[in-house]
Amino acid sequence: MPRRAGHFTIWPPMKFSLAVYSAPHSAQSASSALRFAKTVLQQGHEIYRVFFYCDGVQNGNATAAPPQDEIDLTAEWQVLGQQHQLDLVICIAAAQRRGVLNQREAERLERPAANLADGFELAGLGQLTDAVANSDRLITFGS
Amino acid sequence: MTLHIVSKSPYTSSALKECLGAFASGDALLLIEDGTYVLRHPALETLQSAEIYCLEADAAARGQQQLAATMDRVEMINDARWVQLCTEHQPIVSWFR
Amino acid sequence: MSIKSLALCRTAPYGNALAREGIEAVLAAAAMDQAVDLLFLGDGVFQLLDHQSPADIGQKSLRRNLQALPMFGIEQFFVCEKSLAEREITLEQIQVAGAETKTVKDTGSLIASYPTVLSF
Repeated sequence: MPRRAGHFTIWPPMKFSLAVYSAPHSAQSASSALRFAKTVLQQGHEIYRVFFYCDGVQNGNATAAPPQDEIDLTAEWQVLGQQHQLDLVICIAAAQRRGVLNQREAERLERPAANLADGFELAGLGQLTDAVANSDRLITFGS
Repeated sequence: MTLHIVSKSPYTSSALKECLGAFASGDALLLIEDGTYVLRHPALETLQSAEIYCLEADAAARGQQQLAATMDRVEMINDARWVQLCTEHQPIVSWFR
Repeated sequence: MSIKSLALCRTAPYGNALAREGIEAVLAAAAMDQAVDLLFLGDGVFQLLDHQSPADIGQKSLRRNLQALPMFGIEQFFVCEKSLAEREITLEQIQVAGAETKTVKDTGSLIASYPTVLSF
Protein backbone atom coordinates (compact mmCIF):
# COMPACT_ATOMS: atom_id res chain seq x y z
CA MET A 1 0.00 0.00 0.00
CA PRO A 2 1.18 3.53 -0.71
CA ARG A 3 2.41 5.86 2.02
CA ARG A 4 1.25 9.45 2.10
CA ALA A 5 3.72 12.28 2.64
CA GLY A 6 2.08 15.68 2.36
CA HIS A 7 0.10 15.70 -0.85
CA PHE A 8 2.38 13.19 -2.53
CA THR A 9 1.73 9.48 -2.55
CA ILE A 10 4.92 7.46 -2.27
CA TRP A 11 4.76 3.96 -3.63
CA PRO A 12 7.15 1.23 -2.61
CA PRO A 13 9.94 0.37 -5.06
CA MET A 14 8.66 -1.54 -8.06
CA LYS A 15 10.13 -3.89 -10.62
CA PHE A 16 9.93 -2.44 -14.13
CA SER A 17 10.59 -4.10 -17.46
CA LEU A 18 10.87 -2.31 -20.79
CA ALA A 19 10.11 -3.66 -24.26
CA VAL A 20 11.98 -1.58 -26.85
CA TYR A 21 10.99 -1.90 -30.53
CA SER A 22 12.80 1.00 -32.10
CA ALA A 23 16.32 1.34 -33.50
CA PRO A 24 18.58 4.20 -32.41
CA HIS A 25 18.55 7.17 -34.80
CA SER A 26 15.27 6.00 -36.39
CA ALA A 27 12.67 7.05 -33.85
CA GLN A 28 12.74 9.03 -30.60
CA SER A 29 11.25 6.02 -28.87
CA ALA A 30 14.69 4.37 -28.53
CA SER A 31 16.07 7.32 -26.57
CA SER A 32 12.80 7.71 -24.64
CA ALA A 33 13.34 4.17 -23.36
CA LEU A 34 16.84 5.01 -22.12
CA ARG A 35 15.60 8.23 -20.52
CA PHE A 36 12.80 6.34 -18.78
CA ALA A 37 15.16 3.58 -17.60
CA LYS A 38 17.56 6.13 -16.08
CA THR A 39 14.70 7.85 -14.26
CA VAL A 40 13.27 4.57 -12.97
CA LEU A 41 16.65 3.80 -11.37
CA GLN A 42 17.10 7.35 -10.05
CA GLN A 43 13.71 7.05 -8.35
CA GLY A 44 14.85 3.97 -6.48
CA HIS A 45 12.96 1.39 -8.48
CA GLU A 46 14.39 -1.75 -10.01
CA ILE A 47 14.67 -2.74 -13.66
CA TYR A 48 14.02 -6.44 -14.03
CA ARG A 49 14.82 -6.57 -17.73
CA VAL A 50 15.08 -4.51 -20.90
CA PHE A 51 13.92 -6.62 -23.82
CA PHE A 52 14.94 -5.34 -27.25
CA TYR A 53 12.58 -6.59 -29.93
CA CYS A 54 11.80 -5.84 -33.59
CA ASP A 55 14.10 -3.03 -34.87
CA GLY A 56 15.02 -2.41 -31.23
CA VAL A 57 17.67 -5.15 -31.55
CA GLN A 58 19.84 -2.50 -33.27
CA ASN A 59 20.41 -0.94 -29.85
CA GLY A 60 22.87 -3.80 -29.32
CA ASN A 61 24.70 -3.36 -32.62
CA ALA A 62 28.32 -2.54 -31.79
CA THR A 63 29.15 -1.50 -35.35
CA ALA A 64 26.90 1.56 -35.34
CA ALA A 65 29.05 4.70 -35.38
CA PRO A 66 26.96 7.82 -34.80
CA PRO A 67 28.57 11.29 -35.20
CA GLN A 68 30.35 12.45 -32.02
CA ASP A 69 27.82 15.21 -31.28
CA GLU A 70 24.91 12.74 -31.32
CA ILE A 71 23.78 10.41 -28.58
CA ASP A 72 25.29 6.90 -28.70
CA LEU A 73 22.47 4.82 -27.28
CA THR A 74 24.41 1.55 -27.41
CA ALA A 75 27.21 3.05 -25.32
CA GLU A 76 24.71 4.66 -22.93
CA TRP A 77 22.94 1.35 -22.35
CA GLN A 78 26.29 -0.32 -21.75
CA VAL A 79 27.23 2.21 -19.08
CA LEU A 80 23.82 2.07 -17.40
CA GLY A 81 23.83 -1.71 -17.64
CA GLN A 82 27.21 -1.93 -15.97
CA GLN A 83 26.33 0.53 -13.21
CA HIS A 84 23.13 -1.28 -12.30
CA GLN A 85 23.78 -4.86 -13.47
CA LEU A 86 20.92 -4.61 -15.95
CA ASP A 87 19.62 -7.57 -17.89
CA LEU A 88 19.81 -6.19 -21.46
CA VAL A 89 18.32 -8.89 -23.65
CA ILE A 90 18.25 -8.82 -27.44
CA CYS A 91 15.63 -11.10 -28.99
CA ILE A 92 17.64 -13.71 -30.88
CA ALA A 93 15.02 -14.35 -33.60
CA ALA A 94 14.56 -10.64 -34.34
CA ALA A 95 18.35 -10.12 -34.21
CA GLN A 96 19.16 -12.93 -36.66
CA ARG A 97 16.81 -11.42 -39.22
CA ARG A 98 18.41 -8.00 -38.81
CA GLY A 99 22.05 -9.03 -38.57
CA VAL A 100 22.89 -8.59 -34.90
CA LEU A 101 24.97 -11.65 -34.01
CA ASN A 102 27.33 -12.76 -31.31
CA GLN A 103 30.44 -14.80 -32.11
CA ARG A 104 28.68 -18.12 -31.66
CA GLU A 105 25.73 -17.18 -33.88
CA ALA A 106 27.98 -15.69 -36.56
CA GLU A 107 29.92 -18.97 -36.74
CA ARG A 108 26.83 -21.15 -36.61
CA LEU A 109 25.04 -19.16 -39.34
CA GLU A 110 28.27 -18.72 -41.35
CA ARG A 111 28.15 -14.94 -41.39
CA PRO A 112 31.26 -12.76 -41.80
CA ALA A 113 31.09 -10.81 -38.54
CA ALA A 114 29.86 -10.79 -34.99
CA ASN A 115 28.62 -7.38 -33.87
CA LEU A 116 26.72 -7.83 -30.60
CA ALA A 117 27.83 -5.11 -28.20
CA ASP A 118 29.31 -6.11 -24.83
CA GLY A 119 26.80 -5.97 -22.02
CA PHE A 120 23.93 -7.27 -24.15
CA GLU A 121 22.94 -10.89 -24.49
CA LEU A 122 20.98 -12.79 -27.12
CA ALA A 123 18.05 -14.83 -25.82
CA GLY A 124 14.67 -16.10 -26.91
CA LEU A 125 11.21 -14.59 -26.69
CA GLY A 126 10.70 -16.57 -23.50
CA GLN A 127 12.63 -13.78 -21.77
CA LEU A 128 9.84 -11.35 -22.68
CA THR A 129 7.25 -13.76 -21.32
CA ASP A 130 9.33 -14.13 -18.16
CA ALA A 131 9.58 -10.35 -17.81
CA VAL A 132 5.79 -10.02 -18.07
CA ALA A 133 5.37 -12.65 -15.37
CA ASN A 134 7.96 -11.21 -12.98
CA SER A 135 7.63 -7.43 -13.27
CA ASP A 136 5.21 -5.09 -11.55
CA ARG A 137 5.06 -2.94 -14.67
CA LEU A 138 5.96 -3.50 -18.30
CA ILE A 139 6.20 -0.48 -20.60
CA THR A 140 6.30 -0.79 -24.38
CA PHE A 141 8.50 1.68 -26.26
CA GLY A 142 7.12 1.21 -29.76
CA SER A 143 8.44 1.96 -33.20
CA MET B 1 -6.96 2.23 -13.97
CA THR B 2 -5.13 2.35 -17.25
CA LEU B 3 -2.40 4.83 -18.20
CA HIS B 4 -2.61 5.39 -21.96
CA ILE B 5 0.62 6.68 -23.51
CA VAL B 6 0.19 8.28 -26.94
CA SER B 7 3.40 8.99 -28.87
CA LYS B 8 2.22 9.83 -32.38
CA SER B 9 0.75 12.94 -33.98
CA PRO B 10 -3.06 12.85 -34.25
CA TYR B 11 -2.71 14.31 -37.76
CA THR B 12 -0.94 11.26 -39.20
CA SER B 13 -1.76 8.35 -36.92
CA SER B 14 -4.87 6.66 -35.58
CA ALA B 15 -3.13 6.31 -32.18
CA LEU B 16 -5.13 9.05 -30.43
CA LYS B 17 -8.45 8.11 -32.03
CA GLU B 18 -8.10 4.45 -31.10
CA CYS B 19 -6.85 5.31 -27.63
CA LEU B 20 -9.88 7.50 -27.00
CA GLY B 21 -12.09 4.66 -28.25
CA ALA B 22 -10.59 2.41 -25.59
CA PHE B 23 -10.68 4.95 -22.76
CA ALA B 24 -12.47 3.87 -19.60
CA SER B 25 -13.62 6.27 -16.91
CA GLY B 26 -10.81 6.87 -14.42
CA ASP B 27 -8.11 6.24 -17.02
CA ALA B 28 -5.32 8.76 -17.56
CA LEU B 29 -3.70 10.01 -20.77
CA LEU B 30 -0.01 10.80 -21.16
CA LEU B 31 1.30 12.55 -24.27
CA ILE B 32 4.92 11.92 -25.23
CA GLU B 33 7.12 12.43 -28.33
CA ASP B 34 4.96 13.39 -31.37
CA GLY B 35 1.94 12.71 -29.18
CA THR B 36 2.55 16.16 -27.72
CA TYR B 37 1.01 17.61 -30.92
CA VAL B 38 -2.29 16.35 -29.49
CA LEU B 39 -2.16 19.56 -27.40
CA ARG B 40 -3.44 21.51 -30.42
CA HIS B 41 -5.99 18.91 -31.51
CA PRO B 42 -9.74 19.36 -30.87
CA ALA B 43 -10.17 15.68 -29.93
CA LEU B 44 -8.67 16.50 -26.54
CA GLU B 45 -11.96 18.21 -25.67
CA THR B 46 -13.76 14.85 -25.72
CA LEU B 47 -11.88 13.84 -22.56
CA GLN B 48 -13.93 16.02 -20.26
CA SER B 49 -13.00 14.67 -16.86
CA ALA B 50 -9.90 12.57 -17.49
CA GLU B 51 -6.44 13.35 -16.14
CA ILE B 52 -4.21 14.47 -19.01
CA TYR B 53 -0.44 14.69 -18.72
CA CYS B 54 2.21 15.78 -21.17
CA LEU B 55 5.99 15.32 -21.03
CA GLU B 56 7.35 18.83 -20.76
CA ALA B 57 10.69 18.08 -22.43
CA ASP B 58 9.01 16.47 -25.44
CA ALA B 59 6.59 19.38 -25.83
CA ALA B 60 9.34 21.99 -25.41
CA ALA B 61 11.52 20.21 -27.99
CA ARG B 62 8.72 20.80 -30.48
CA GLY B 63 8.03 24.42 -29.60
CA GLN B 64 4.79 23.53 -27.84
CA GLN B 65 5.60 24.92 -24.38
CA GLN B 66 3.71 28.22 -24.77
CA LEU B 67 0.63 26.43 -26.03
CA ALA B 68 0.89 24.01 -23.13
CA ALA B 69 1.08 26.87 -20.62
CA THR B 70 -2.36 28.07 -21.73
CA MET B 71 -4.01 24.72 -21.13
CA ASP B 72 -5.44 24.28 -17.64
CA ARG B 73 -6.57 20.77 -18.34
CA VAL B 74 -3.14 19.42 -19.14
CA GLU B 75 -0.47 18.88 -16.48
CA MET B 76 3.06 19.28 -17.80
CA ILE B 77 5.34 16.76 -16.12
CA ASN B 78 9.02 15.84 -15.84
CA ASP B 79 10.51 12.38 -16.22
CA ALA B 80 10.32 11.59 -12.49
CA ARG B 81 6.59 12.20 -12.53
CA TRP B 82 6.34 10.01 -15.65
CA VAL B 83 7.81 7.10 -13.69
CA GLN B 84 5.56 7.89 -10.75
CA LEU B 85 2.48 7.82 -13.01
CA CYS B 86 3.54 4.38 -14.17
CA THR B 87 3.66 3.17 -10.57
CA GLU B 88 0.20 4.61 -9.88
CA HIS B 89 -1.52 3.06 -12.90
CA GLN B 90 -2.01 -0.45 -14.14
CA PRO B 91 -2.03 -1.52 -16.91
CA ILE B 92 0.09 0.79 -19.05
CA VAL B 93 -0.86 0.84 -22.73
CA SER B 94 1.37 2.37 -25.41
CA TRP B 95 -0.27 3.73 -28.56
CA PHE B 96 2.64 4.25 -30.92
CA ARG B 97 1.16 3.78 -34.39
CA MET C 1 -1.65 -20.40 -12.23
CA SER C 2 -0.12 -17.37 -13.86
CA ILE C 3 -1.82 -14.01 -14.26
CA LYS C 4 -3.16 -13.30 -17.71
CA SER C 5 -1.76 -10.54 -19.87
CA LEU C 6 -3.22 -8.92 -22.97
CA ALA C 7 -1.64 -8.57 -26.40
CA LEU C 8 -3.12 -5.54 -28.11
CA CYS C 9 -2.77 -6.14 -31.87
CA ARG C 10 -3.24 -2.95 -33.93
CA THR C 11 -1.05 -3.58 -36.96
CA ALA C 12 -2.22 -4.88 -40.34
CA PRO C 13 -0.29 -7.89 -41.66
CA TYR C 14 2.53 -7.78 -44.29
CA GLY C 15 3.00 -4.00 -44.54
CA ASN C 16 4.92 -3.92 -41.26
CA ALA C 17 6.78 -6.71 -39.44
CA LEU C 18 5.20 -5.74 -36.13
CA ALA C 19 2.04 -7.76 -36.81
CA ARG C 20 4.06 -10.96 -37.27
CA GLU C 21 6.49 -10.28 -34.44
CA GLY C 22 3.54 -9.62 -32.14
CA ILE C 23 1.93 -12.95 -32.90
CA GLU C 24 5.32 -14.67 -32.49
CA ALA C 25 5.62 -13.18 -29.01
CA VAL C 26 2.13 -14.45 -28.19
CA LEU C 27 3.02 -17.93 -29.46
CA ALA C 28 6.15 -17.95 -27.32
CA ALA C 29 4.16 -17.01 -24.23
CA ALA C 30 1.51 -19.64 -24.96
CA ALA C 31 4.20 -22.28 -25.50
CA MET C 32 5.50 -21.45 -21.99
CA ASP C 33 1.99 -21.90 -20.56
CA GLN C 34 1.74 -18.19 -19.78
CA ALA C 35 -1.87 -17.17 -20.22
CA VAL C 36 -2.33 -14.41 -22.77
CA ASP C 37 -5.43 -13.00 -24.43
CA LEU C 38 -5.50 -11.15 -27.74
CA LEU C 39 -7.46 -8.04 -28.62
CA PHE C 40 -7.51 -7.07 -32.29
CA LEU C 41 -8.21 -3.39 -32.70
CA GLY C 42 -7.91 -0.86 -35.53
CA ASP C 43 -6.00 -2.21 -38.53
CA GLY C 44 -5.08 -5.24 -36.41
CA VAL C 45 -8.43 -6.79 -37.34
CA PHE C 46 -7.06 -7.23 -40.89
CA GLN C 47 -4.81 -9.99 -39.47
CA LEU C 48 -7.89 -12.17 -39.09
CA LEU C 49 -9.35 -11.63 -42.55
CA ASP C 50 -9.69 -14.84 -44.56
CA HIS C 51 -8.29 -15.64 -48.03
CA GLN C 52 -4.82 -14.21 -47.33
CA SER C 53 -2.35 -15.44 -49.97
CA PRO C 54 0.94 -13.56 -49.50
CA ALA C 55 3.19 -16.02 -51.41
CA ASP C 56 3.57 -13.65 -54.38
CA ILE C 57 4.90 -10.86 -52.17
CA GLY C 58 7.46 -13.24 -50.66
CA GLN C 59 5.86 -13.55 -47.26
CA LYS C 60 4.46 -16.35 -45.14
CA SER C 61 0.80 -16.35 -44.18
CA LEU C 62 0.28 -14.66 -40.83
CA ARG C 63 -3.18 -16.15 -40.62
CA ARG C 64 -1.50 -19.55 -40.44
CA ASN C 65 0.25 -18.43 -37.24
CA LEU C 66 -3.10 -17.33 -35.84
CA GLN C 67 -4.54 -20.73 -36.74
CA ALA C 68 -1.81 -22.33 -34.61
CA LEU C 69 -2.84 -20.46 -31.48
CA PRO C 70 -5.70 -22.81 -30.49
CA MET C 71 -3.15 -25.67 -30.36
CA PHE C 72 -1.35 -23.70 -27.65
CA GLY C 73 -4.50 -23.18 -25.61
CA ILE C 74 -5.59 -19.79 -26.96
CA GLU C 75 -9.16 -20.53 -27.89
CA GLN C 76 -10.70 -17.09 -28.01
CA PHE C 77 -9.88 -13.83 -29.77
CA PHE C 78 -11.31 -10.50 -28.71
CA VAL C 79 -12.09 -8.19 -31.63
CA CYS C 80 -13.11 -4.54 -31.42
CA GLU C 81 -16.64 -4.30 -32.79
CA LYS C 82 -16.23 -0.70 -33.92
CA SER C 83 -13.02 -1.48 -35.82
CA LEU C 84 -14.84 -4.23 -37.74
CA ALA C 85 -17.77 -1.95 -38.56
CA GLU C 86 -15.48 0.87 -39.74
CA ARG C 87 -13.78 -1.54 -42.13
CA GLU C 88 -17.01 -3.23 -43.22
CA ILE C 89 -15.74 -6.64 -42.13
CA THR C 90 -18.27 -9.28 -41.17
CA LEU C 91 -17.78 -11.94 -38.50
CA GLU C 92 -17.90 -14.66 -41.17
CA GLN C 93 -14.78 -13.17 -42.78
CA ILE C 94 -12.62 -13.47 -39.65
CA GLN C 95 -13.32 -16.94 -38.31
CA VAL C 96 -10.37 -19.08 -37.22
CA ALA C 97 -10.92 -22.81 -36.73
CA GLY C 98 -10.68 -23.84 -33.08
CA ALA C 99 -11.03 -20.30 -31.75
CA GLU C 100 -14.06 -18.31 -30.78
CA THR C 101 -14.21 -14.74 -32.04
CA LYS C 102 -15.70 -12.46 -29.42
CA THR C 103 -16.62 -8.95 -30.46
CA VAL C 104 -16.06 -6.29 -27.80
CA LYS C 105 -17.92 -3.00 -27.49
CA ASP C 106 -16.28 -1.69 -24.33
CA THR C 107 -12.60 -2.19 -25.14
CA GLY C 108 -11.65 0.21 -22.33
CA SER C 109 -13.05 -2.03 -19.61
CA LEU C 110 -11.52 -5.12 -21.19
CA ILE C 111 -8.06 -3.51 -21.32
CA ALA C 112 -8.37 -2.26 -17.73
CA SER C 113 -8.96 -5.81 -16.50
CA TYR C 114 -5.37 -6.93 -17.28
CA PRO C 115 -2.28 -6.10 -15.21
CA THR C 116 -0.04 -6.03 -18.28
CA VAL C 117 -0.73 -5.03 -21.87
CA LEU C 118 1.81 -5.60 -24.64
CA SER C 119 1.18 -3.42 -27.70
CA PHE C 120 1.96 -4.69 -31.20
